[in-house]
Amino acid sequence: MLRFVGKRVWEGALTLAALVTLTFFVMRLAPGGPFSRNRKISPEILEHIKATFHLDEPVWQQFGRYVWGLMHFDFGPSTRFRDYSVGDLIASGLPYSLTIGFWAVVIASMVGIALGIAGALRRNTPTDYLAGVVGVIGIAVPIFVIGPLFQVIFALKLNWLPVGGSDQGWRSLVLPIVVLSLPNIAYISRLTRGSMIETMRENYVRTARAKGIGPRRTLIVHTLKGALLPVIAYLGPATAGIITGSILIETVFAVPGIGRHFVDAALNRDYPLVMGITLLYGGLLILFNILTDLVRGWLDPRVRSDG
Amino acid sequence: MTDSLLSLRDLSVNFRLPAGEMTAVDRVSFDVAPGEVLGIVGESGSGKSQILFSLMGLLASNGRVSGRAEFQGQNLLALSPAALDRVRGVTLSMIFQDPMTSLNPYMRVGDQLAEGLRVHRGLSKAEAWKAAVAMLDRVRIPDAANRARRYPHEFSGGMRQRVMIAMALLVRPALLLADEPTTALDVTIQAQVLDLMAELGREIGSAIVLVTHDLGVVARLCDRVIVLYGGRVMEEGPAEAMFDAPAHPYAQGLLAATPRLDDVLTPRLGTIPGTPRSGGAMLPGCPFAPRCTVKIAACETTQPPLAAIAPDRRAACHLTKAAP
Amino acid sequence: MVEIAPPKSLSTFQLQLRRFRSNRLAMLSVAVLALITLACFFGPFFFPFTGEDADFDYINAPIDFGSAHWFGTDDFGRDLLVRVLEGGRVSLTIGFLGAATAGFIGVLYGAVAGYAGGRADRMMMRAVEVLYGFPYVILVILLSLLFGGGNVALFAAIVFTLWLTPAVIVRAQAQSLARREFVEAARAGGMTARQIVLEHIVPNCISVVIVYGSLLVPEVILSESFLSFLGIGIKEPQASWGNLIQTGTAAMGTDLRLLLLPGTLLALVLFCLNFIADGLRDAFDPNDR
Repeated sequence: MLRFVGKRVWEGALTLAALVTLTFFVMRLAPGGPFSRNRKISPEILEHIKATFHLDEPVWQQFGRYVWGLMHFDFGPSTRFRDYSVGDLIASGLPYSLTIGFWAVVIASMVGIALGIAGALRRNTPTDYLAGVVGVIGIAVPIFVIGPLFQVIFALKLNWLPVGGSDQGWRSLVLPIVVLSLPNIAYISRLTRGSMIETMRENYVRTARAKGIGPRRTLIVHTLKGALLPVIAYLGPATAGIITGSILIETVFAVPGIGRHFVDAALNRDYPLVMGITLLYGGLLILFNILTDLVRGWLDPRVRSDG
Repeated sequence: MTDSLLSLRDLSVNFRLPAGEMTAVDRVSFDVAPGEVLGIVGESGSGKSQILFSLMGLLASNGRVSGRAEFQGQNLLALSPAALDRVRGVTLSMIFQDPMTSLNPYMRVGDQLAEGLRVHRGLSKAEAWKAAVAMLDRVRIPDAANRARRYPHEFSGGMRQRVMIAMALLVRPALLLADEPTTALDVTIQAQVLDLMAELGREIGSAIVLVTHDLGVVARLCDRVIVLYGGRVMEEGPAEAMFDAPAHPYAQGLLAATPRLDDVLTPRLGTIPGTPRSGGAMLPGCPFAPRCTVKIAACETTQPPLAAIAPDRRAACHLTKAAP
Repeated sequence: MVEIAPPKSLSTFQLQLRRFRSNRLAMLSVAVLALITLACFFGPFFFPFTGEDADFDYINAPIDFGSAHWFGTDDFGRDLLVRVLEGGRVSLTIGFLGAATAGFIGVLYGAVAGYAGGRADRMMMRAVEVLYGFPYVILVILLSLLFGGGNVALFAAIVFTLWLTPAVIVRAQAQSLARREFVEAARAGGMTARQIVLEHIVPNCISVVIVYGSLLVPEVILSESFLSFLGIGIKEPQASWGNLIQTGTAAMGTDLRLLLLPGTLLALVLFCLNFIADGLRDAFDPNDR
């Protein structure tokens, strides 16, 4: 088990290192610097600014400086918001993004798994079809279409909730959370249904029935564990989906989270901020993949011994 | 016969397929006496496994069963699911073909064995575990106390099938159904596992219905044999009598196709021409007629009845003479 | 005797096609998708103006089937319907070309890795794993910045991130194929590794590729419109469904039309593509549920 954990952590560190390198050089090689838009700046001042941000050094030296900073948890200053460090900006946005992401995952897992199980147990009944329709809509209608529609219906027409922003506490976050959970409900319910149906056909479930274990106990003790393993395995990659979604959601609902910071930073070529958020996302993704693997290893003895 | 443990009457199994109705088992009747070992032989697709599945209520969802299956005074086919669960795993157990997938990969082997005792007998966790370990020991799993804490993937195929046998016999069933329990195993350990099953069955006093396509196995273990073809009983009788003088042409062919140690002079094995029919509409006549080398006109048009050819033997063929 | 012919004969393929054709929802989706594609590619030619021509007499015109602008115009006086059709042309082109390119790269990569096995396979798959560890959207955004923005950059970025899944799937398939008799026979018969990969491994992965490739198309279209929505992909004045929806959300308080027309069309195309993908999977891979 210890080797299993070690291997996962080592792989994660490798990925993270590759991510740091790639982001850094992509941002340096990308055309257009952070200040090329402000034409009015005189060459002297530009030189000064470049010196302040060490943009006049050779690229490899900048890279070394950056990695050195990272080791001290210093992401450097933002080139756009002069008075803030990247760390400050991330710290200000992270609570919003995490709250939305967390609740979206919780709702999506609960509703998705419940719908999937219901669909599998009552195949080809209205329940199953309803779950199927929800699934198809969640997958096919992008959240940047559903989001604005929900804003029109629930905020502008019915006036139940605010259109967006963050000034009304939890009320501001209801729509973003619900909209972000929709595609994940769809994926999880489809995955759960398929996996349930497959597991119910497994020979070991037949063995349980042959032992005269009632249908209830067979479902809970024998079927569910095998059926939910792929769903749990999906929760790692789902984090990536949640990150994608939160970028859109924060733009649509004007939530001041890190997803919005990221888009702004990318459009304004604010290198340090883009890199900081990329690393954060990458780190989160790696962390969740490791956690997912650990949970799978804990639940599935075969994964554990494969290492 | 009133002293029989299980008595099938006109048991039929049909499957609804996209292409139409398929009859897998066609009006099969036979009896199993307490403690007896009955072999059911036939080629793949002869419906032999489906008989067992229908008794256990484990047919695929598109399968339908009809007829009667009297087991200890109850018709298994008419029981409610809850009532069936008081029979399955209590007095009626089953061992499946594929030991690699028949055990729950996420559960300790000991827990899987103990589960039946805890559910049906209300044993405590510790008591059930102790009984499970003792049973694992009896099926000769080395170091059973530690092995019980392991997961199925840590066992070899032969060991898993012994675990399945232990699980089936742990509840001391009156009847054990075994569906080709060794086909998935290495030839070298097949005999070992089968002998173990028969031996334990005898000790516990369970009757065994053994489905197989291996006549050698039948010859060694079974008291009586039923030969199945195309979902119908072709011949039935004591194993010894049938091996000495098979009555039905199909049984004769089957026997000729089996190597015998005591017959080194026969230079080559016989074969049965043609291939077994697979599903579709039932033929009006004998199902074996298309492949039969001695058929007469009547075989194609009229189904031969299963008639007594000796006091304890029956055969379904127009050519065999009825017992006087 | 070792059988040398590949196990999948043409008749299997025909059987699968027939199974797909009997799926009504999938066939309806094919028809709707074909209709939308035709409309997007040829529709704009039937109008006397393009999507970038501003008509200053009709600024923010509402829906009026009697006028020249059926679905009205935007705040620059550009015809909404023509813009949506032109946007569809871009989205569909990127979708199908992107999926085909990503699929092509993935199939070759996976087939080579799976057939080669051993060290080469381990290294190639480690590279894929590292790329898989990246947050996909972030990668697309970074790459599209690196390539300097614009349509080609967007296309390259999307392809670069989407070839991974087909590579993994084909590799698994190739690995099992490499051990099959007909491949062994080909090797014994003196075929080179290159010939075996191209003539035996790749053709036998086709049905898996069709099934998963069909899932790539909606994914590419979604990525494109999502980036354009954020202002990173296709930029004004060129129309795409993503940036049209973005424009629509800005005006949704007063005029839903600008959001609903491109949004509905995008959702419709995604519906169709998903149903087609489901149909293909059921037809080509009946064991998978």
